[in-house]
Amino acid sequence: MKILVVEDSSSMRSHVTNIIEMDQEDCEIVEAANGFEALKTLPHHKFDAILTDINMPDINGLELVSFLKNHPVYKTIPIMVISTESTTEDRNRAAALGAEEYLVKPFDPKDLVAKLRKLLRVA
Amino acid sequence: MSDDFTGEAEELLDALSRGVADFEAQGSGVRPELVNKIFRDVHSLKGLSAMVGQREVAELAHALEDMLDRLRMGKIAIGKAVIDLLYDGIDAFNRLIAGTTADVAALTARVAGIATIDRPPAALDEIALEEQTRKSLTEYEEHRLIENIRSGKQIYSIEQRFDFSDFDQKLRALTGKLTESGEVISTLPSVDPTGAGIGFRLLFGTALDEAKTAAVAPEAKVTSLRKAQPAEEGDVSLKSASSTVRVDIAKLDVVMNTIGELLIEKNQIDVLARGLDGRQRHALAAVARNLERKLNELQKTAIELRMVPVGQIYTKLSRSVRKLARDLDKDIELVLRGEETELDKMLVEEISDPLLHIIRNALDHGIESAAERKAAGKDPKGRVTVQAYQQGNSVVIDVRDDGRGIDPEVIREAGLKRGLTAADPFELLFAPGFSTAAEVSEISGRGVGLDVVKKNIQELKGSIEVISAVGEGTTFRIMLPITLAIIQALIVRAAGQQFAIPLTSVEESLRIQSREILTVEAREVLSLRDLTLPLVRLADAFSLPNGEEHPDRKLFVVVTRSGEKQAGIVVDGIVRQHEIVIKSIGERLKGTPGIAGATELGRGEIVLVVDVASLIEAFGGKAREARIGL
Repeated sequence: MKILVVEDSSSMRSHVTNIIEMDQEDCEIVEAANGFEALKTLPHHKFDAILTDINMPDINGLELVSFLKNHPVYKTIPIMVISTESTTEDRNRAAALGAEEYLVKPFDPKDLVAKLRKLLRVA
Repeated sequence: MSDDFTGEAEELLDALSRGVADFEAQGSGVRPELVNKIFRDVHSLKGLSAMVGQREVAELAHALEDMLDRLRMGKIAIGKAVIDLLYDGIDAFNRLIAGTTADVAALTARVAGIATIDRPPAALDEIALEEQTRKSLTEYEEHRLIENIRSGKQIYSIEQRFDFSDFDQKLRALTGKLTESGEVISTLPSVDPTGAGIGFRLLFGTALDEAKTAAVAPEAKVTSLRKAQPAEEGDVSLKSASSTVRVDIAKLDVVMNTIGELLIEKNQIDVLARGLDGRQRHALAAVARNLERKLNELQKTAIELRMVPVGQIYTKLSRSVRKLARDLDKDIELVLRGEETELDKMLVEEISDPLLHIIRNALDHGIESAAERKAAGKDPKGRVTVQAYQQGNSVVIDVRDDGRGIDPEVIREAGLKRGLTAADPFELLFAPGFSTAAEVSEISGRGVGLDVVKKNIQELKGSIEVISAVGEGTTFRIMLPITLAIIQALIVRAAGQQFAIPLTSVEESLRIQSREILTVEAREVLSLRDLTLPLVRLADAFSLPNGEEHPDRKLFVVVTRSGEKQAGIVVDGIVRQHEIVIKSIGERLKGTPGIAGATELGRGEIVLVVDVASLIEAFGGKAREARIGL
């Protein structure tokens, strides 16, 4: 099992990583601090799920989702967007672009776990 | 987890403080990227603090984030209330993270009190944008797109394919270049059909036309997204109550440059007139004079448009001083004078950091502790005065403290230890790596040194000098040109070439014979009234053949001044006085001492512009032989 976490805040990233590692055994997590890093790392792994923030420098999470869902190889990877309630319009856009799940920050670790499990079942 | 939090929160607050200070300095013309950066920092802080259960920090961050979100969406007005709230918010964050208390409820109430402006729905249909791209814009990006459309900007789609190995550097370079002349609104990656690379499509809002945009991004496919403009709507009269307009400084730059180019065109007319005879020449000369007069008026007005009062940065200074004085535990009164003095907007922005650095030094190193002051019979309360005033075509900003002063002997000795010497020991303060502070201080021991301050000021064609009396205090005097755009210059000739010397640095010019030049301690000087003026031969300074020397040789000396320093520039002839627009020069000559840039006289003739400050510094007072070696 391999999961990509795209998030520009390092402590938020390790928080997410910790929660996932506690729940999923044998899970390798690859971290990317921005959209560019995510794009660069994609060809080197076969991901089972991608978790991404929206507000990031360079390219935003929605643009990343749009790219992934239009890509011949990556379009089947399920995506969870993790962002804040201040951008409700963005949530609708993420869904319209094809992101499977949406999690609002700040979140209860239990919600992250539940949504991730659901996401992985979809796959 | 908690240590992680404190570390990252402190970093965020640091970035936030810098962002808000920049915001305040930029005022109502604040760049959207900056507001968005501040928003993102507060947003991250909220996420972080909620995660570790820092409830009060999260609550306050949430309120401020909400305000900033409305601000970046153009739903609230930029003003003092917003900036004050941000500063107070940062104070509160710092206190909460340090474990003390802050009145979060009062701050959130103030946020709630900021009124929202209702904006008319925007016309996204003015541009052709397909659904997929539209959906991948965040709400904020969509707002920026609308703002760009509304302000009459062109919207381009810029598509380019990159190799996968280095697309991030290449794309950042492209984005950086584009940002100089517009706003990159969104960056959408796309699948490269060959599979070897990756495509990107940028949405770019700019005042440039399609050809100019294509020149900035030569390898990209540039397409205009604006649909053909429908005819202007008739008889809509929405008179504005205000008689002022807010203008992007970049547009003013375009106006200034165009005027500069017109002046060059006018010079062409003069050149052409010289080739005519009699009546025609007089007629054309009269037209040229008229044109010149009008252009001068236009230029004067255009320069005035760029002028803003220096007082714009005073608020920022007083805030920083208050905080610093508290951190240093010193009682300090800051006196700000001459806030109405006007200076080019660009210069006001560029000078604020160097100025703050000098003030920080004055507080930290200049002003003694209250006990020391009492012992010296001084008022325990220290005083730092910042005074701006106009002097001819320059603006002078003095930062004066009534502290311990700088002992030139201490500086000289400290310099010797580092192998540095200078005729004026205060010069050493500006040498790279020079510091006399026994320990690196928390306040001014980090970041840039005075050498960087001096370099920054010189880049603005300004100068800085120190006047100090032991026990009485120190003054740092910054001199800046009122504007950088168009200047009067003296065109001189040396070694068969022409050079332009900015008139702001020229005091007078003299005609001399070679025999009047004296050599004192292997330095060439001229005795001028009661003064011994060091000389620099322009031909030598630029390693050009100097011509045959004989006692009767007729020479000209242009007496120049840079700050307190005077020097005579020796040339073969003085051609005329001329208006010039300084253009920057290629990388190869950039940074060459003595050269500020180049300018074009009539007939496409390119002439180097002399940078008097660096010329005096590099060559003034040096033995002739030493100069020739350069």
